[in-house]
Amino acid sequence: MKRRLQSLIQPALTGVGLIALWYAAIRITRIPRYVLPAPHEILAAVWQEKSVLWTSAMVTARGAILGFLAAVGVGFLIAMVLGFSPRIKRSFYPYILVLQMMPVTILAPVFVLWLGQGLPSIVAITFMIGFFPVVANTTMGFISVDRNLQELFVMCKATRAQEIRYLRIPGAMPYFLTGMKIAGTLAPIGAIVGDFLAGSAHNGVGGIGYMTIVYFSQLRTPALFATGLVACLLGFIFVGGVNWLHWRLLHTWHESRVTAE
Amino acid sequence: MTNPSLVQINRLGKRFGDGPWVLDGLDLGVERGEFVSFIGPSGCGKSTLLRLIAGLTAPTQGELVVDGMTPANARELMFFVFQDANLLPWKRVAANVELPLLLRGDLAAKRQERVARMLDVVGLSGSADKFPWQLSGGMKMRVSIARALSVAPKILLLDEPFGALDEMTRDKLNEDLLAIRERDPFTGFFVTHSVTEAVFLSTRIVVLSANPGRIATTIHVPFPYPRTAELRETQPFLERLAVTAHALRAVRK
Repeated sequence: MKRRLQSLIQPALTGVGLIALWYAAIRITRIPRYVLPAPHEILAAVWQEKSVLWTSAMVTARGAILGFLAAVGVGFLIAMVLGFSPRIKRSFYPYILVLQMMPVTILAPVFVLWLGQGLPSIVAITFMIGFFPVVANTTMGFISVDRNLQELFVMCKATRAQEIRYLRIPGAMPYFLTGMKIAGTLAPIGAIVGDFLAGSAHNGVGGIGYMTIVYFSQLRTPALFATGLVACLLGFIFVGGVNWLHWRLLHTWHESRVTAE
Repeated sequence: MTNPSLVQINRLGKRFGDGPWVLDGLDLGVERGEFVSFIGPSGCGKSTLLRLIAGLTAPTQGELVVDGMTPANARELMFFVFQDANLLPWKRVAANVELPLLLRGDLAAKRQERVARMLDVVGLSGSADKFPWQLSGGMKMRVSIARALSVAPKILLLDEPFGALDEMTRDKLNEDLLAIRERDPFTGFFVTHSVTEAVFLSTRIVVLSANPGRIATTIHVPFPYPRTAELRETQPFLERLAVTAHALRAVRK
């Protein structure tokens, strides 16, 4: 209990200290407010722009969720194919790496050309950023099945389908969920980058990435900082959700989640 | 049939790739109802021999017949108890015991009944809903044995199943294994490092020498079943122990 209290109080104190430092810096250096706004001005901007920020957060969240689901689903399927056929893995893995190495800033215009400005491109960009960790981790999981367990299935005369269902897929779960966690941290970032590079606006409101461009061009610095705050919140919610899922699926049995009795 | 033995091994040889011969020129016939232990120094190929009988690896030379079939075809008759308990960590105890029945396509009702009986036999009815990580080493091994016996195999192959356990737990599991065998008879093949264990369990002890693995001596253990813990303290038992230890020392040179 005392520990828990400390783990709340200590970061709170750090936060207070940082904000004090922030105000001190503004006082002492006399930086113009449009370069570095004060914390209360940012909060005021959040309040002022709340409906715009809410809408743009929802737009970004939609892109992040769809891109994340695509990355996780498609990544899992690709990993399954790669994990079960060494031949396909050898033939295709280098090209998956090429895809991964391709900077999003170069892919984005291509997506816009193919899919147009807006949600489909944003989802595609989020997918591109998130799918590789899922593929790499899950493939590893499918490949590194315990040899003894495999022999147990041989002794049981298990069919290939049974081995996949009862051994390979559950065995790959921890790896898959690790990949999913990484994809989960990347997805909101991917969606914001997507807004930024390929976003579109309805009634002047786009995703968070889009709004940063708008606020920046108008030199509304507090609102610009406010988008950063909203992006962080969105990221925390997203990662929290993925972590919860990880816990849900593994806490009963896996070492990483089981607490020693 | 010209070959009445349940397991017949003729001039069996095994090497991995171009490596040295792990086993060389082995002849052995094992009858139904026997309990044969393989004992010998490290590298004598006793685990390999067990895996050959199971069909988990193929002979390089010679032949191996299990109930008139190749080992791979006779798999339905056999089950393997691995060195570590080898349980699926994501499945509860009951589901682990159920696995072989599930894989061979038994109906749910039959599976439930069989699992309940097997857990009762190994004394783990109260732990059916636990996960493997919640069990001690001895309990995990009990689950592994319950799982192996769930399919009522004619032949049970055990690869040093109690090697990692303390002596008291091991003695108890030895006694329990024989008690189970009274109710659900099987022909046993047992790899071990422990002389006491070999004498207590077996009808016959095959002592192997290393480099390459060959049969050095065979020791018959005449005590009738059911055998109980008291047997270990009798004079004839201690004599068999001495004979076996002596044979083992001879191949260690």
